[in-house]
Amino acid sequence: MAQWRSARQGADDTIRFSRTFLLLLLAISAILIAADRTEDRVEAITVFRAAFNDVSLPVLEAAAQPLRGLYNVGPWWRRQMELANEIRELRQEMAELRAWRDVALNYSEQMRRQQELLNLDPPMPRNRITAWSVTETGGPFVRTRLVGVGSDNGVEPGYPALNIYGVVGRTIDVGARSSRILLLTDLNSRVSVMADRSNARAMLVGDNTDFPRLDYLGRAPDIREGDRIVTSGDDNVLPRGLPIGEAVMDRRGLWRVALYSSAAPIDLIWIWPFEPIAPPAEEVPVPAVLPGLPPADPLPPDAAEAAEPDAVSSAEPETDQTGEGR
Amino acid sequence: MRAPLERNSTWPVLTAIGLTLVLSLLAVAAPLRLPEGQGFPAPLFPLIALFVWSVRYPRFIPPWVIFLVGIFQDLLTGGPLGMWAISYLLAFAIARLRTTEPSAREFILLVARSSLMTGIATLVAWVAGSLSIGQPADPTSLVTEGVITLIVFPAFCWLFARKRERTTFS
Repeated sequence: MAQWRSARQGADDTIRFSRTFLLLLLAISAILIAADRTEDRVEAITVFRAAFNDVSLPVLEAAAQPLRGLYNVGPWWRRQMELANEIRELRQEMAELRAWRDVALNYSEQMRRQQELLNLDPPMPRNRITAWSVTETGGPFVRTRLVGVGSDNGVEPGYPALNIYGVVGRTIDVGARSSRILLLTDLNSRVSVMADRSNARAMLVGDNTDFPRLDYLGRAPDIREGDRIVTSGDDNVLPRGLPIGEAVMDRRGLWRVALYSSAAPIDLIWIWPFEPIAPPAEEVPVPAVLPGLPPADPLPPDAAEAAEPDAVSSAEPETDQTGEGR
Repeated sequence: MRAPLERNSTWPVLTAIGLTLVLSLLAVAAPLRLPEGQGFPAPLFPLIALFVWSVRYPRFIPPWVIFLVGIFQDLLTGGPLGMWAISYLLAFAIARLRTTEPSAREFILLVARSSLMTGIATLVAWVAGSLSIGQPADPTSLVTEGVITLIVFPAFCWLFARKRERTTFS
């Protein structure tokens, strides 16, 4: 320590910028920026970032506590009055909604029966994973959010994330106890959607604004102001029918979507497990068996076992899609 | 002329520097979950902390510390890795070329230099970020951050200039 100090004692008033070292650090930064481009990110960086998120999440959460407290001090009595009003309104709303709940239950029962008749799988899986979103990275380059669940809780990359109003985005980097969610507004977000009313297809393209764009609409798109936009499931990235937002036209005449999920700050998030349909291409082909003849080239028993469930599972969703497309 | 703290021990200074840098990073990255939603702009605290310490104790803020602070800011805020590192490094490298150290301790010069540094850091961050996403990024929030930093910076410079005077003449 003493040696280190004495070596630099003379240079007390200057930052010792060794030019070579500085250039080296600049080069490293440039390489990192190039390697971290979102469209072709180096695998190691993704893994490293996920691990770093795992470690930093508790620290960030702890650091935010006192700051959050400061913001919440405010005039609390005004908040109390607002709350009392809110409770009164909510009670009234609840009474009205009770009737709607009966209607919904009725419809849901009808729907279930019809799905059974049509041999359709319900589009939504049952086990959702609930998480608090913890960081708000509203920078100009990325629109992502961090949640405190990861592969330990069953999250995998590509799962859709929703709040109570609609789709928020989907998971990208997944660590053991944390995941990063790519928001629909991010520049790299592409989701195929449709208008609920007309089934007109489009691609929802994030452009880092709060209102993502509707692209690839075709020549005369059947879309109107206020149309409900939902996922179409065509892209095999998100399941069909998740609520996204309402179609709005901007000043330049481009169709955009006012997201349902931005109706309130994104806080509690549900992550829905979703398995995209796997293509049958890489499967071991099952040899054609003529009736009455033994197979020409029998598969080893384990390969046959491995091939069979895949064939079944890939066949089922295919019917599901064609059935729903009508 | 030497401050008493420097003569006695290095560790308190190092601890103070480390603590300030960590706190500044947390202040930038902490999830505040504000009721108004996202997009709450904060000044570039890490740049301010680095600048203030680099004027007071230049030998404790070598380039690799600047680099590490930048990298941690990128990791914590989820931005393109290396963006803030390259911004801070270039800001320090360029702003340093244009000043002579002893006179840089006067208030006006400190403000001028810190403003130059903020400008460079914001510009480089915008260019690096735009290169990273492959198209010009929306500069609004970066510019807001830069402007807030510019507003806050003189206060820190003033505090520092005052402190310096006291330690020199007492």
